[in-house]
Amino acid sequence: MEKNYYVCTGCGMLCDDIEVDVENNKINKVYTACRIGVAHMKDGKESAAFLVDNKPVDETTAISEAATILKNAKNPLIFGLGTSSNEAQKLAIELAKKTSATLDDASSFSLGEVIEALLNNKTKVCTLDDVRNKADVSIFWGTDPSDSHPRQLSKYAYFPRGTEKQRGWEEERTAICIDVRKSHTAKICGNYFFQIPPGGDAEFIDALIAALAGKLPKTSYNFPPKRILELANILKGAKFGVVFVGRGLVYSLDNLEPLIRLMNALNEKANFHLVPMIRQYNTRGFNENLFKETGYVNSVKFEDGTVKHGPEYSVVESLKEKTVDAALIIGSDPFSILPRSIAKNLLEVPVIVLDPCETLTSRNAKVYISTAIDGVESGGSAIRMDGVKVDFKPAVETKRPSDETVLKKIMEAL
Amino acid sequence: MELYQMLPKTNCKKCGKTSCMAFAVALMARELTPEDCPPLKEEPKYKESYEKLSEIFKPSEGATETGLIVHEDLCFGCGNCVVACPPNVANDPYGVGSGKAPTNPGRLVLTVEDGVVKAQNLGECRRFGKNKILCNGCIVTCPVEAIEFV
Amino acid sequence: MDFGSFLKAPEIKVKIVTYRDIFQDKAMIENRFGKEYRDRSAVIKMDSADLKQLNVKKGETVILKNSFGTVVVKAEESGYEPSHRGIAYMPKSPWSNMLVSDETGGTGIPKFKDISVTVTSAKGQKLTELGL
Repeated sequence: MEKNYYVCTGCGMLCDDIEVDVENNKINKVYTACRIGVAHMKDGKESAAFLVDNKPVDETTAISEAATILKNAKNPLIFGLGTSSNEAQKLAIELAKKTSATLDDASSFSLGEVIEALLNNKTKVCTLDDVRNKADVSIFWGTDPSDSHPRQLSKYAYFPRGTEKQRGWEEERTAICIDVRKSHTAKICGNYFFQIPPGGDAEFIDALIAALAGKLPKTSYNFPPKRILELANILKGAKFGVVFVGRGLVYSLDNLEPLIRLMNALNEKANFHLVPMIRQYNTRGFNENLFKETGYVNSVKFEDGTVKHGPEYSVVESLKEKTVDAALIIGSDPFSILPRSIAKNLLEVPVIVLDPCETLTSRNAKVYISTAIDGVESGGSAIRMDGVKVDFKPAVETKRPSDETVLKKIMEAL
Repeated sequence: MELYQMLPKTNCKKCGKTSCMAFAVALMARELTPEDCPPLKEEPKYKESYEKLSEIFKPSEGATETGLIVHEDLCFGCGNCVVACPPNVANDPYGVGSGKAPTNPGRLVLTVEDGVVKAQNLGECRRFGKNKILCNGCIVTCPVEAIEFV
Repeated sequence: MDFGSFLKAPEIKVKIVTYRDIFQDKAMIENRFGKEYRDRSAVIKMDSADLKQLNVKKGETVILKNSFGTVVVKAEESGYEPSHRGIAYMPKSPWSNMLVSDETGGTGIPKFKDISVTVTSAKGQKLTELGL
């Protein structure tokens, strides 16, 4: 029997095997998706909302107000786009060029450096399907997929049978967790959980590299060398190892150099690949689309046909130094996800917000346009956390425009 | 005990036992069934508990021997138990056995609906029957111990 | 002996590491301005010995303060072993973000998982509301 599957855009896994029951244009039951996916897919809204100064207006007024703000700005910030389709992101890049904007997404303060390294071929990568079919050793470093990507272990990384892993997890796979606290994922990894102190990752990497080379692994916090040697032995024997990297590791390192060194050391002795634990469903799409256009994954400034890049063009530094004089925020809530000490500077400039939900940022914005949820109410394509392109279609209808539609209209109104 | 929590806890003695705790023990020992507690069966406020207990102690399925309880409020919907459950894998190797959605959910013991695991067909559970074993697939794979066998 | 210092509430310094919690994320999707999101976010998990030193029982509220902000959240026992005195855990949220420094060294990356605060008992004060 042909199944009608939908793609869940609740996280970077883009699970494409979700069935839903729709009644009266509302999703009232979701099969197979995790708690996050279900909440996400049931979040649709039929009615549209256009607000200027928190008062309802019609669509044309909202769009023209938004266009005016961007037109009058010398250096508008366009930020977000992690929950926008590839098509919307490409339009946003065009809009940024047209308005000489600073363009950035949340990867500039999370996994951007990792994605930049992958796209520049600094380390071996694989797809999630490879993980299911081949991986015998999975390491979760500074990430807790049980909470952030709930189906990661059951769909790909540990529990399923794969074409080359038919005898199951108990016999053929090992799951290892390296973290500063005993997370839910650490609990599942049992004796293969390695608890290190906050900030201790760089030293642990050096110790592990030493152990891989047969040297005595030492850390200033006296992590039992015997355990590190045992870990190195497991890794040395991996036929298809995968390191899932999260923000816990990235925030602990000053830069990516130790991680790249570790991947190189692992690949001298065995076969290891890197998978970034990207949370938003299309952050990777933004990084790849921008990379194709400019050679950079985030934090760019367009001006007179040129593109500049650097941390000074990241959302955090732009807001801190108050270099931007307007902001178009798409599918993000800076007042929630950024330090208040930095986000508060958004109050000083006119802000346009496109978001399916009312947020702290939208409540303090000049213009708010309620947009459709991709994968639930609108279609398009995205790039999964492992670089695989996934197409998605809507399950219900809505009067709310998609990001793509709104960006198109703003561009026309410019 | 989890079973006791689902009972009226009024010690009304209508079941013939001196307390609800004693009734819970009798339930476990298959001396009595949920039907034997009149308030549980008849009063609307206990409807949910009655249905849950009846599900666990359904005589026709022999579920009494497995005593599987799902703590729905704890469940992440992660699917670890669904993919690890041996009868699930045997009955659907290319569906849940490979980490994907079930091809035939009706034949499975564990599935995820609305983000919460649902148990059914408990007769297929390996902890039941003549050759029963102490399978713990759905217990050790769960991040939060949402499935319990009482 | 100075009576003032005698009566001053005990306070300790902790370093906060943030983490992700699935039910908190679910509550955010369903209603980010609601009580459930607040109850699941405005939480700090501490070592029970630290709680004892503060004279705070699990479930009571505490004040987290540093030069960037002040919030009132609920204190819980982390239940983690081994002991982690001086380190505490909060779900990543607008509450934890009130306390994150704006010091980035120009990198664009704030220290989300390295937040230093002073903790004192909130003596029954309610959780900080979400808002600006």
